Amino acid sequence: MSVIAEKKFAVEIVYNGVTKPIQVQPEEQVTALLHQAIAVFGITQNAHLLSLFRQDGTVVPENESIERAGLKPDEVLLLRPNAVKGGGELLRLSKHILRATFQTLRECGRGECECTVYWIGPAGKNLVDGFEHPLHKRSPFGYEVDDGWLTEFWKRLGASKRSIKVQVHTHPGEAFHSTTDDQWPIVSQAGFVSIVIPDFAEGEPSLHNAWVGRLQGDGKWQRVASVAQALVLA
Amino acid sequence: MAARSIRGPSPRSRMSALQQLNRTILLCRDYVAETLSDEEICRCFQSLQVLCVSDVSNMSSHSGQTALVTLVSLLSRMGMQVGIRVPDVPMLSPQPPLSGPSLSKALLASSETTVAGTTVCCDPDFKPDLIFVLGNMKIDSVHPASWRLTGSDWYGALAMKGIGHSQPWTAQWPVGSMVSAVLAANEAFKFVMRRLPLRNPGDQVFFEPSRSCNWNFDPVHLFEQGVDFGQVDVISGGAISQACLYALMRFPNIQMRGRVFDDDLTSASNLNRNMLTLATDVGSSKVQVIAQRSGPKLQLVPIGNRFSGQNLKLDRLAPRVLVGVDDIPSRWDVQRRAPGWIAVSGTSHFSVSSSAHSPGGPCCGCLHPVDDPAGANPIPTVSFVSFWAGLAMAVRLFREAVASPYSSGRQHLWLTPLRMDQPHAAMWLPVPRHRNCPVQCFASREL
Repeated sequence: MSVIAEKKFAVEIVYNGVTKPIQVQPEEQVTALLHQAIAVFGITQNAHLLSLFRQDGTVVPENESIERAGLKPDEVLLLRPNAVKGGGELLRLSKHILRATFQTLRECGRGECECTVYWIGPAGKNLVDGFEHPLHKRSPFGYEVDDGWLTEFWKRLGASKRSIKVQVHTHPGEAFHSTTDDQWPIVSQAGFVSIVIPDFAEGEPSLHNAWVGRLQGDGKWQRVASVAQALVLA
Repeated sequence: MAARSIRGPSPRSRMSALQQLNRTILLCRDYVAETLSDEEICRCFQSLQVLCVSDVSNMSSHSGQTALVTLVSLLSRMGMQVGIRVPDVPMLSPQPPLSGPSLSKALLASSETTVAGTTVCCDPDFKPDLIFVLGNMKIDSVHPASWRLTGSDWYGALAMKGIGHSQPWTAQWPVGSMVSAVLAANEAFKFVMRRLPLRNPGDQVFFEPSRSCNWNFDPVHLFEQGVDFGQVDVISGGAISQACLYALMRFPNIQMRGRVFDDDLTSASNLNRNMLTLATDVGSSKVQVIAQRSGPKLQLVPIGNRFSGQNLKLDRLAPRVLVGVDDIPSRWDVQRRAPGWIAVSGTSHFSVSSSAHSPGGPCCGCLHPVDDPAGANPIPTVSFVSFWAGLAMAVRLFREAVASPYSSGRQHLWLTPLRMDQPHAAMWLPVPRHRNCPVQCFASREL
């Protein structure tokens, strides 16, 4: 006779002062719990800005499982707006990556074609410590990343527990986010950052004239008022 | 029915009330059915009749008088019609913005001084929708919606008839009395919300009546010789600062000097929550209104500029700073320049965030690390939520001044006052250091 251990347990979610229990499985993602909490409380407005907070004031990481996040039976979690989520956390970027990015974009684009690179870093951290230059087709009016390369890249990221933090690409003239840019980001998660560099990156290696924007929870892109609202150069 | 229609506000005053209550209406829109017009929501608030009742013994203490004055103000600022059945006793201490030697006369004179069409009366024919009894006065009422307000120095409570032990208002220290008043105002708000159709019927849970609820800010030793807060700067002349100063000016035997910074003028939409402001102040500078109402205990110099480092080129911020400003980068700026302790309070819809920050500890940048541009839009808010934020800040200042600050585990208070009968309506939290603290405070740099 086999015995199936009951692993399910309940956590207490507090919203607007009201507490409701929600059953969870240890292997379930925190994101699933968050969505369940939002549904249980019937929240329809700005739900994408909500996070779960522990009683020690820290945010429960959404990219972890319930078990890895360390949630315990009957733990009380506060469901409340997270300004960080609304604004997106600041990414720390090494200056040498910015210089290397410009060099790559110039060499590949040669002042006549668009080009792209992806800034990457450890999953779960707000750090950019490397970049990838994808295999792509290029033209003065756009670029198209190779499907096969993308699949391999995805596998590598998963195996090395790293993630794409920012997509960077060039435009021939003015920096802006085109309809294509809006519709086809490489990552479609709220908070993801996109940077468009003008003049095929032929100018100074800085982001002063770049378009820097962040994907919102409602799927729309919002340009940040200044680069400093998205990145810290370390 | 006839009595209600006679007492109801005129169409002209309802137009003004719509402007004055627009932030309250905006907050209701978090939950009410979209088909409801602003006028219908406004009318529902303005048609509510609330009776406040007490007797000589309960109204002969500073705490009892403060509970009544605060409750009437919070109700009026929601546009409700208030009836009072209280004896004519002398005012024991100043209760700005009310004035006059008699408690009941001062309250009656406050009729229509905040939201247009909002009256305070002592009409024997007043037909209340709900009743608040202050203290242990015996009443025979079998009214289904009646609560009793009780409390002590730091503790305030609200209970329906027959629940709990009623105690008289005797305290001189008024924090508990203001707590009981704000608990009661919340019940009146929910009463209105229960009359409005909601988008999602499941949201009724947030507006169910509390049979009993209470809140305790926890006692600290009160010094008979009084407390001098020294120099204190106040950043913003808005609702939270005004609620904080409203509370502080009711603390017996305290002194404070400092400055209040704000470049804004009082607008009609501030009347729903700015506790020191009257309708006649619309168009006046907020800091002038505050300086004028603060009286001798709180000597505040009005600085009619938005706070920025440039205002302070030749001067420094005071050792203690109260920050009631919504703008998050301004909070960071204050934190960077503050030489000592700061307290920050803010509201988000029905919730209140209140924190204090001492040098070396996690700062307000750690707690609010990212700007929220959406905060620049008209902010949905209501009198009792802003009042909680200000009251919590006043208590923090007092505790700091008497060297009894809350422990680090209580550095942050997150409080949603709708259901204070629920176990987690308010949560004390520590403030974790934030790796990307925009202030780059000492605590965050250690990470």
